[in-house]
Amino acid sequence: MKTADWLILAATLTFIVVYGTWRTRRQRDMNSFVLAGRSLPWWMVALSVMATQASAITFLSVPGQAFADGLRFVQFYFGLPLAMVVLCITVVPIYHRLKVLTAYEYLERRFDAKTRALAAGLFLVQRGLATGLTIYAPAVVLSVLLDWPVSVTTAGVGLLVVVYTATGGSKAVSVTQLQQMLVILAGMGLALVAILRLLPAGVSFSEAVAVAGVSGKLNAVDFSFDLSNRYNFWSGLIGGFFLALSYFGTDQSQVGRHLSGRSVTESRLGLLFNGLAKVPMQFLILFVGVMVFVVFLFVAPPVHFNPVETRRLASGPLSAEYARGEADHRAAVDERREAVGRFLAARRSNEPSAVQVAREEIRAAGGRYDAVRERVAALVRKSNPLSDGRDTNYVFLRFVLEHLPTGLVGLILAAVFSAAMSSASAELTALASTTVVDGYKRFVCPDGSDAHYVAMSRWATVLWGLVAVAFAQFASRLGTLVEAVNVLGSLFYGTILGIFLVAFYAKRVAGTAVFAAAVASEAAVLLLFAFTRISFLWFNVVGCLLVVALSMALQAWKGEAAGRSVEPAA
Amino acid sequence: MKAKPSLRPEDAGDRPPFGRSWGVLYVGVLLNLALLVVLFSLFSKAFR
Repeated sequence: MKTADWLILAATLTFIVVYGTWRTRRQRDMNSFVLAGRSLPWWMVALSVMATQASAITFLSVPGQAFADGLRFVQFYFGLPLAMVVLCITVVPIYHRLKVLTAYEYLERRFDAKTRALAAGLFLVQRGLATGLTIYAPAVVLSVLLDWPVSVTTAGVGLLVVVYTATGGSKAVSVTQLQQMLVILAGMGLALVAILRLLPAGVSFSEAVAVAGVSGKLNAVDFSFDLSNRYNFWSGLIGGFFLALSYFGTDQSQVGRHLSGRSVTESRLGLLFNGLAKVPMQFLILFVGVMVFVVFLFVAPPVHFNPVETRRLASGPLSAEYARGEADHRAAVDERREAVGRFLAARRSNEPSAVQVAREEIRAAGGRYDAVRERVAALVRKSNPLSDGRDTNYVFLRFVLEHLPTGLVGLILAAVFSAAMSSASAELTALASTTVVDGYKRFVCPDGSDAHYVAMSRWATVLWGLVAVAFAQFASRLGTLVEAVNVLGSLFYGTILGIFLVAFYAKRVAGTAVFAAAVASEAAVLLLFAFTRISFLWFNVVGCLLVVALSMALQAWKGEAAGRSVEPAA
Repeated sequence: MKAKPSLRPEDAGDRPPFGRSWGVLYVGVLLNLALLVVLFSLFSKAFR
């Protein structure tokens, strides 16, 4: 990376950290630490919600996902706008009226302390591990840039995020999210322009799109119903709806964001804007990945995008097999490029039969190219048992570093790091506030001062930072980060959502029934994950419906009408 | 008698600052989703 890129990267990140810390230097009470004093206008709520979800994983892993798997991941987001509407109607007014600091406080008012502790505990486990993945993504970037082991850079990024979060809290996250989102959107927009400029002379944008389509990368919508298919319209709309409902309605990292709105109206508008903008934004990021794929049809890509692993292979005992893999890869790349050339020539001369033949040639050449890459991935697994051999998290990073112009590289890396800071710090704030409000304050020290709880929140931030860094050491075995983080969430979100749905709508169900139902449902989801091939998005549906059905059945069996109503007068 | 929690002025009328009602905004978000699904679907089919 050139000096100018380092300067742009350092200047952008320094500005964000210093500005955020300066703006929030007088923060003293829990309300302002956790919920930014409930003072934000709707557009800041929207930016905050979007920036929290758009972690560095989004900008590193999603283009890589599209490079490997096309646009179909966009279906994952189809349930999100629907969830935003449902949350605006139901959850947002309830949380505002009850003036809760965390979502789990509500559960104790409605049920009992053990149900609150269970939901908070499930959240802490899930979010604590997921924060490890959030921290791992920028650590991958630093590892490649500095040629340091990823374990070291993970610790470095973790330290930076902990200091930033513990000194500024939620407001520091919020006040810089406008700047962060601007950097992120500018970085991705400029990246797309630069990528299109890398297409060979004579290849137009529409031809690039046509080549992507023939290569099977424009598979944005698939209406077939298949439980084992990870991404189709139905899993995205139904499973994605349950996942988004749980993520935005019960996950404190998001509840803390939209509760920071200064009124119900501001929180609602913020969520609705997210419902409008999220799907097109993800489509754009995926489309960037597809265009990277197209550029690599004309410019020879590396056989494996993780440079640390290829160096290890080239200098290790598997070097001869790796060299054969590289040679086969060069041949496959040439064959694919020639097939694409014939396809474009046939398309320009408007010969349908020749177009059809060239189309089949591209698909056949693509299959052989993928087979060579899979062979090299197997070599990576053999040479490094800690790696799963996949390189999708490195595709976009490698492309940016090797093919984009000076200046833009620094800006895009600044976008990656600012996304990492905003999401990781929001997650750590949520973990700390849940630990203190739902654990420490409730069960250990109920009569402390606000200053004491803020101090404990800072220590909890440090503690969760350590947990996240420890889990991040295993992230290289988990494949595509954007899938790993959503699989992890889906193991817990259904159960948590089910508890909240019972709390809101099954007024006759009491704490013991919902607690038992939640424990049984969580066990069932974990068993389904371990022993079936059902796509992870459906776990959100199964977990939620199981909690609702089991808790109602248990309550009916116990025969008591015992639910506590906490709905305030409006 | 229990005092009702006070609502901020923005919430009092339960009306959004733009659009005639919350229902209109909700329908707008859902129509936007439907439009995107149709556009993506046509896009996928056009370049298959």
